[in-house]
Amino acid sequence: MKLREYEAKQILAGHGIPIPAGFLIRSPDELADRMTGLSEKVVLKAQVDVGGRGKAGGVLFADKNSCTGVARELFSRSIKGIPVTEVLVEQALDIERELYTAVLIDRSSKEALILFTTEGGVDIEETARNHPERIRKARIPLIMERVPSFMLRDLVQGLGKEIGPVIQNLYSAFLRHDAVLAEINPLVVTPAGVYAADAKLIIDDNALSRQGIVVNRDQTERERIAQSHGFSYVELDGTIGVIGNGAGLTMATLDLIGHYHGSAANFLDVGGGADKDRVREAVRLVATKPGVRVIVVNLLGGITRCDEVASGIVGAGIPQKVIVRLAGTNEQEGKAILDGGGYIMVDTMEDAVRTAVEMAS
Amino acid sequence: MIYADRNAGIIVTGATGKQGAFHINLMNEYARSVGGTGVVAGVTPGKGGQEVHGVPVYNSMKEALANHDASVSVLFVPASAAGDSIMEAAAAGIDLVVAITEFIPVHDTMKAISYARLEGCDVIGPNCPGLLSPGEIKLGIMPAHLFSRGPIGVISRSGTLTYEVVAELTRAGLGQSTVVGIGGDPVIGQTFEDVLLRFSCDEETQAVVLIGEVGGNLEEEGAKIADIPIVSYIAGISAPPEKRMGHAGAIVEGGEGDARSKIERLQKMGVPVASRPSEIPRLLRPLLG
Repeated sequence: MKLREYEAKQILAGHGIPIPAGFLIRSPDELADRMTGLSEKVVLKAQVDVGGRGKAGGVLFADKNSCTGVARELFSRSIKGIPVTEVLVEQALDIERELYTAVLIDRSSKEALILFTTEGGVDIEETARNHPERIRKARIPLIMERVPSFMLRDLVQGLGKEIGPVIQNLYSAFLRHDAVLAEINPLVVTPAGVYAADAKLIIDDNALSRQGIVVNRDQTERERIAQSHGFSYVELDGTIGVIGNGAGLTMATLDLIGHYHGSAANFLDVGGGADKDRVREAVRLVATKPGVRVIVVNLLGGITRCDEVASGIVGAGIPQKVIVRLAGTNEQEGKAILDGGGYIMVDTMEDAVRTAVEMAS
Repeated sequence: MIYADRNAGIIVTGATGKQGAFHINLMNEYARSVGGTGVVAGVTPGKGGQEVHGVPVYNSMKEALANHDASVSVLFVPASAAGDSIMEAAAAGIDLVVAITEFIPVHDTMKAISYARLEGCDVIGPNCPGLLSPGEIKLGIMPAHLFSRGPIGVISRSGTLTYEVVAELTRAGLGQSTVVGIGGDPVIGQTFEDVLLRFSCDEETQAVVLIGEVGGNLEEEGAKIADIPIVSYIAGISAPPEKRMGHAGAIVEGGEGDARSKIERLQKMGVPVASRPSEIPRLLRPLLG
């Protein structure tokens, strides 16, 4: 899960990385009595979960005395369709130079990858594309608690002695907070020292509970329910509800619907080992989305048992027709439970999808 | 067949849980049907002395190995304890850990894999269905009745989609040498590359089906080095970008990793890519000797 900028910065500050002085406001009126201690120039940054925020008008500069008006302006905007409800007010930095550094997960080496370049700022993606050699890289196995000195020297190439500790501390924050990405862009060099002017922290979804993070981001009611059950659930615009077990099979079912020129209304992956209660909730959830005409249940038993799935489908008692494809562990028992219940039972995924597309059109 | 034959002793960690117990039984049924060794012991800390389907349970991997001959472990422990359990198996001398558990925090996986590497232990998974060599050995949770023995190797990031493809192969009369589910997480032990290298050296395997998903580029990296004919299928062509598809690894990351560009890169290497699972047998046949 991606944290907001101000949350990410608080975490980095806790690991000794300098951040600009500032505070969060949820309305322009909160500004007045909090301005003491800030410099003459401030920057107001909308806290919205979109990329390219600056270019979309989500970052505004202001003088101390004009900033309430600027804040009102920012709170009245939508940034790429998302209304502004939180604004980070910070002192504007006297920028000499913009650097970039990040720690992320490298699938290929199965280690952390540390990146550093002197060409930070908004054009980092261009640098990555056109001059990949300008981005310095180091790989570090996570069983190492600290970045070795040689690695830091190699990354920063003799640049100011404040940079090494920032990378060291960023790696500590990455480790401590189960991050899949910890990024500072730009890392700003000023006459007064270096500051993380913007920061991005994405926390591993599998580690949210041990990190004590509660997810409450923009979701539909159905997405919220799905999450509470631990389902992967995505809403689309079509007419066929899709339930599968396993991301690969669910995606393949969706792809096949596209292949036969049908359209999915939503899809839900019940995950491994779903019992009848979970399947019942899954079927009910998918059925409640407006526009769902038929539902395809494509389940292959392995750790999941077909008899549990069948009981769940029967228990859901939904109005739409359900096309069921069951194979694998306890397949015969599952089919026996569904037999005579008005379900359309097919043996292959192709048949299931073809039937669904026909019935939904 | 790659990784293990019927003579390999298996230890199941997380043996006393619902899934562990259920699959000890199925793995041993399979071992009996092929004359294999099967599961010789289980491990669950604090549950030593119990039995699960006739299999003795020990408090630690060390204790289990002191009493039984085994080279492989299959792991069903809960996500929060899984990283620790992989390292325990590696430290005790297990050669291959098959980690079925899903939702393991990725840092735990990375630390465990780094440690296992130091101990010379291979890890398959996590978040995987394990592997099955028809007629030889079943390590994990794959439904055996869909499989048949033959010259096709299968490698997949998915669980159930693998069964789908195996069922298609079996229906088409194309048996399998070994089917490996490498797991759907962003970081996994054995990758396409590792498994393809093994298949390339396996006399029984004539061609490999590589089942990939959106996310990362490990499919292409593997196909690049393989010395064996490959047919591929990539799931997620209709995946909305930036949406989580159930596997953390299936997040579409920028341009790299989306299904279409992955398919194009594979095709550029001369790998035939099926547009749907049922097309795989037709693409395989011309590659067989």
